[in-house]
Amino acid sequence: MTQQQEKLSAFMDGEIEGNDIIDAIKNDEALQAKWKRYHVYRGAMRKEVSVAPQLDITASVAAALESEPAIVAPKRSRWSSIPLIGNVVPFAKQSGQFAVAASVAVAVIFGVQYTNQDSPAEPFMTAPTIAPQGGLAPVSLEQTRMLPRNDMNEVLEKKRKINALIADHEQQIKLKQAQEEEIETSEQQRP
Amino acid sequence: MRCRSFVALFFISGTVIQPALAQLTPSTLGLQISATPAQSSTTDLGGQDANKEGSQRDREEQTRNERQRDEQSDARQRAEVPQSASQWLAELQNIITNANFQVSFVQTVAGKETIPYLWRHGIMDDGSELEQLNLQNGPGRELIRVNDVVSVFEPDVQPYSLRSKHINGPIPSALLYHPEQLIEGYEFVAVGRARVAGRSAQQIRIVSRDNTRFGYQLWLDESSGMLLKLNMLDLQGGLLEQIQVTAFAISQSPAEYFSRINSASLPPPMALSNAPARAHNWDVTYLPTGMREIKQDTRRLALTGQVVEYKLFSDGLVDVSVYVQPADDALGETLALRNEVSTFLTLTDGSAQVTVVGEIPLQTANAIANSLRPVNN
Repeated sequence: MTQQQEKLSAFMDGEIEGNDIIDAIKNDEALQAKWKRYHVYRGAMRKEVSVAPQLDITASVAAALESEPAIVAPKRSRWSSIPLIGNVVPFAKQSGQFAVAASVAVAVIFGVQYTNQDSPAEPFMTAPTIAPQGGLAPVSLEQTRMLPRNDMNEVLEKKRKINALIADHEQQIKLKQAQEEEIETSEQQRP
Repeated sequence: MRCRSFVALFFISGTVIQPALAQLTPSTLGLQISATPAQSSTTDLGGQDANKEGSQRDREEQTRNERQRDEQSDARQRAEVPQSASQWLAELQNIITNANFQVSFVQTVAGKETIPYLWRHGIMDDGSELEQLNLQNGPGRELIRVNDVVSVFEPDVQPYSLRSKHINGPIPSALLYHPEQLIEGYEFVAVGRARVAGRSAQQIRIVSRDNTRFGYQLWLDESSGMLLKLNMLDLQGGLLEQIQVTAFAISQSPAEYFSRINSASLPPPMALSNAPARAHNWDVTYLPTGMREIKQDTRRLALTGQVVEYKLFSDGLVDVSVYVQPADDALGETLALRNEVSTFLTLTDGSAQVTVVGEIPLQTANAIANSLRPVNN
């Protein structure tokens, strides 16, 4: 078992090549789980965690959605339009903000997959940081709690909502092509 | 408008720097314009030293010689290489559809680490088409396409397959396989020759017709038509994202790797639910030229469970998502976030919240968000 773990690790690093280990992974559920976990760890360390496409979500909640009240369409006159010229420059200046949102997205997704709960007390920071390269430990829960902010929960909640939208956008793009294909096929089937 | 004049400047400076190159590749749209000042300036220089009559005769002779030379090189060029931007894109489409190739490229996004990819394609003996895209750093991400099924292997997700004729990678697949679909929204201009990845390349500029989206520069290998470099530029011409080929090989037979793929062991393609969605009672009344609706539905966000009404728009190169939610459930404020490439813009009127996300300039996102109108079904 330990030998296989070593092999697995080496295989992941591209140090060995071989069908033995692939077969071993295929046949051994414990190894499969390990394989997945290793990748998640590494992905997280390298900030490469991607959005898990929870593909069945549309189907499973479709029925529930039918009973949802329709969202009221916005009326034009009530929109506060952004004065564009004034705003473009400041946004560009604080371009770090979006980067924070994106990196927080990674943290949130990570958290969801791990703890399977999405309480706002996620272990991430509110200030923009340069991610440490290499083997530095991720930010711990304690550090987050020490941040002296009263509106912490509110800020986190907002970020969570922003991230939910950004993550969803990315997932939709991933699935876009397949979707187009399905539509094409179904159109072809129709006479 | 500002962008156009900038582009014109670019043309002129390009001609000054490379007049020799410009004369070698005539009859592309950009060069027909720019080659003229270069020729007339040589003629003027010749005329300064000689007397009037002589210079007149010289000039006529020179013009005639030049015309002959141009015609000869024209004929030679026509037989050898494609002329227009669309012909070059057809070359690209041809090689990536029909050739056995292996391409290494890197993707660089401003402010982020460079990501290396390996991209392989092969036509097997039985006629089946195999393609592979592998993220080379870290645990990687591997996409394998067998004909019209794409299997995705990602570190934190169960392997899955989708029915798709193309791998959805960092290079927009519409540009590779269906350049004709982009004509409505974008203008393609052949710029001329350049040297990329140690090879002679043809440069093509891609600009959105209504100047509402980011632009591109594309370099194709002159001898094969293979993509060598792709830049994404903001409206001021600043570099946003770059794909640079570092090595490529075209071979007679498909890569040995493909023979090891057992298509029976790949996950079966998922069926995506295509249930007709309840029609939204809002619609977007402004879209950039060439952008169309890909899909719409009503569902819950995976991360928060919020209910959203959703529309996805695409022009083939960029995708834009529009979300509408009840304001009390959503952010409840007006906010715009930008990173180098993407825009996240959310507006509220107190009762509904509209969010636009995509790789478009903030102005365009704002125009789309403000164009929402109620629809009476």
